[in-house]
Amino acid sequence: MPPETELQLPAAPAVKALACPACGGSVALRAAGYSVSVVCQYCSSILDVTDPQVKLITEYRQAAEALEIQLGSRGTLRGIEWEAIGYLQRSAADGGAWDEYLLFNPYHGYRWLITDGRGWSLGEQLTVSPSYSDYETMMLGDRAYTRFYEDSSARVNYVLGEFYWRVAVGEEVVGADWVRPGSMLSREKNAHEVSWTRSILLDHKEMAEAFGVQKGASWPPMPHQPSPNAAWLGTGFKIFAGMFLLLTVLILAFGGTSWVTAGRFPIAPDGTERTVTLGPIHLGHLYQRVEIRADVPRLENGWVDLDYTLVDRKTQQVYEAYGAAERYSGSDSDGPWTEGSRRSSISVASVPAGDYDLVVDYKGNRWNSSTTWDYARGMSVEDPGWLNQDNQPEVVVEVRGGALFASSFFIALLLLGLPLLIGLIRHIQFDKARQAESDFAPTGFAALTQSSEDDEE
Amino acid sequence: MSTRTFLYALWCLGVAALFVLSGIFAWSPFAEGGRAHGYSRISGPTHK
Repeated sequence: MPPETELQLPAAPAVKALACPACGGSVALRAAGYSVSVVCQYCSSILDVTDPQVKLITEYRQAAEALEIQLGSRGTLRGIEWEAIGYLQRSAADGGAWDEYLLFNPYHGYRWLITDGRGWSLGEQLTVSPSYSDYETMMLGDRAYTRFYEDSSARVNYVLGEFYWRVAVGEEVVGADWVRPGSMLSREKNAHEVSWTRSILLDHKEMAEAFGVQKGASWPPMPHQPSPNAAWLGTGFKIFAGMFLLLTVLILAFGGTSWVTAGRFPIAPDGTERTVTLGPIHLGHLYQRVEIRADVPRLENGWVDLDYTLVDRKTQQVYEAYGAAERYSGSDSDGPWTEGSRRSSISVASVPAGDYDLVVDYKGNRWNSSTTWDYARGMSVEDPGWLNQDNQPEVVVEVRGGALFASSFFIALLLLGLPLLIGLIRHIQFDKARQAESDFAPTGFAALTQSSEDDEE
Repeated sequence: MSTRTFLYALWCLGVAALFVLSGIFAWSPFAEGGRAHGYSRISGPTHK
């Protein structure tokens, strides 16, 4: 086994001072030995520092832009202290502009801080080239990036500070970008080389602490900005599924019902109201739902009014409810029709434990009255319809006790699902706004909600 | 766990608690019981 050797850190580049040939100002070269050009902070002249004589390449005087990050300032990002040494302003052919700050650390090399005014990304030039997974997707390691901006030229509009290549205003590259939540993959091509950069979106708080920058506009979202709702929606749906199971178990715990009493009562053929009492009805739970169901098997073209009064024998506490069974049928130009039901079911909520009597007032009614000729009596008589005594009209009343209303279950599901629905709608809105900048057709939820008008365009 | 996930989990616990309470007290906003006696209504088919 070879002896362990001590790791040798590369020597830190020395800071070197140069005199600007244009104005005589003292220019500090912070990455001496690495940088090949530097812009004078006093007169904005670009100097070629590879030339021992510090040749003046080009010279221009412009009003100095107020940079968000002053060159020479230092900040710590992801545990590494960086110094801002260069500034570029670039713009695309469509007019969109962004700023790039070159950061330097003698032990970690160069990084880029990129902003378009909405947020900041930390870019690192890659030493490996990503590969196409399919026409839309670029793979870097096991991470997939979706195409976002197609090839378009990007031009340097303004430059300040020092760089590791000879940069000049007007320099153009052809750039294309792929994104995934939180990071962007950028390819830049010129006549000589192709370079790849991966930019990681930085939290505003992190940037504020590192370089004291102000928060930018938050809308529309940046191409690689993660949806604030996407992160929790996945977990949220799992929680929803868990709660659904829990509620189902609770239904089994609370949902048991049992018929406690029943009775069969004839209905007066002349339509007068009758009263019957069912009981005692013993209700054992602390509180319960009492369901009263009435069936009128012979009901046709009429209705039965049902007034229920549940009376606690001990406290005389009264619970009232009204029900009606109604059933109609006939025939018209559209053919035969029926409406209503011969069954009525009502529920009384929160009935305390105790012994009760159920008083039922019921009355049969006919919907339409007609007359028939009574041959025996030689006169017309009113047709009793379904209330005909031979029809034996009767009402069957059943009472059962339980605990849970099905409506409570559905209300609970609605309340559980509501935040997810709102989150999903907001996520879709976010993703649509994010992808609106893309040169390609929307994907994911944004594609689902794309209107037909968009398709035509 | 993100703040939103935590808040949603809290919301779910609240809903589940209300569901349990509605079961214990056998309560529902849609129960027919309690309606006034002598409730007036119109009878007859309504589909035409």
